[in-house]
Amino acid sequence: MKLAKYVKFREEKFGAVLFETRSEKVFTLNPTATAVVREIQAGSDERDIPARLKARYNDQDGTIEREAQAFIAELRQKGLVED
Amino acid sequence: MPIPASTPAATGSGDLGAPLYIAWQVTNECNLACLHCIEESGPGKAFPDELDEDEVFAVLEQAMDLEVPYLSFSGGEPMVHRRFFDMAEYVCRRNGQLKVETNGHYLGPENCARLKQIGVKAVQVSLDGATRDTFNRMRVRGNFDTAVQGVKNLRAAGVPIEINYSPTSFNAHEIGTAVDLAYELGAYSFYTGRTMYTGNAVKTWHRMAPSEEQYGPFFETLHRKTEEYRDRMRVHFHEMGLLEELRYRLHHPAALLIVLPNGLVKLINALPFVCGDLRKQTLAEIWGRFQRAWQDPRVAQFVDDLAIDPRKTATLHQWVYL
Repeated sequence: MKLAKYVKFREEKFGAVLFETRSEKVFTLNPTATAVVREIQAGSDERDIPARLKARYNDQDGTIEREAQAFIAELRQKGLVED
Repeated sequence: MPIPASTPAATGSGDLGAPLYIAWQVTNECNLACLHCIEESGPGKAFPDELDEDEVFAVLEQAMDLEVPYLSFSGGEPMVHRRFFDMAEYVCRRNGQLKVETNGHYLGPENCARLKQIGVKAVQVSLDGATRDTFNRMRVRGNFDTAVQGVKNLRAAGVPIEINYSPTSFNAHEIGTAVDLAYELGAYSFYTGRTMYTGNAVKTWHRMAPSEEQYGPFFETLHRKTEEYRDRMRVHFHEMGLLEELRYRLHHPAALLIVLPNGLVKLINALPFVCGDLRKQTLAEIWGRFQRAWQDPRVAQFVDDLAIDPRKTATLHQWVYL
């Protein structure tokens, strides 16, 4: 999985933005979503990303893991990533 | 976790470290002399103090270093700039996404192949008329057949196409046909909105301004076409009047810088205010100034004055330095 052709990613103080330049839509990302996109850009397998973030951020109640799963599903649904 | 979505124009600039979009008028020179041109471009109309080549590439380098994701080159006619292809190539090589806004008269097969090879995100062609008669009347020195052939050449080369349309009293009724034509030509987006009273339009307003009676069916048709082409071509239009848009912008400045051919940076096309000079400040410094400039009381005053006298837009080229 990688960012779709027309999607640009830029980190910001609050997290990051994804800019889909064909539809000219901007998506504002919180820190968890930003961490997910960093993993995508690093080439991580999408199935591994939620667990990796859970471990990295000592996510004891699973909040980050769930957020990451939901975010990946939304990236796919919005066409912001491709295989 | 729903992702909040907006557009660059609607994205508040305050929290961002750099613009999301730079709209760069690379030259004021143009091969055409269109009745409605908001920049007063035309043959021999290049500014005497346009950025030189070293300055142009220094600005592009700054934009790419700041990771500005999206740029557009317009004019005048951007393709008459001597280093146009080098500039486009630089942006795309640095992973920026570039849109070229052109009148379509330099889109021969060779240039289209080059644009494809460079990897521009899209080329937006102005087709202000669905027929030879209206297009040629509006685009003085222009040729409908040349522009349409240019779009066909883009399609043959595999370059993504956008079409822009400016309404006038004599072409507003063609809007439905124009949208259909854009789709037939292979466009993925169609843009239009209200024609502005500024630039060349100040001198030609009496013979080209659409009336409110014309705007009614114009926008009705666009609403219908939006539905008709849903999922096939995006029909994008600004129904909002200029005053409403500027009032919104006062509180929600777009994450967008307008760069003029001489390196001055405007707050927005529809205001005369300049917030920086790329010969004197870096792009990063100007981005900081941009945030503050929107709060200058003269900006809000200008918008208030516009409510009383809409023809104040005739003064947009008398730049006011903030």
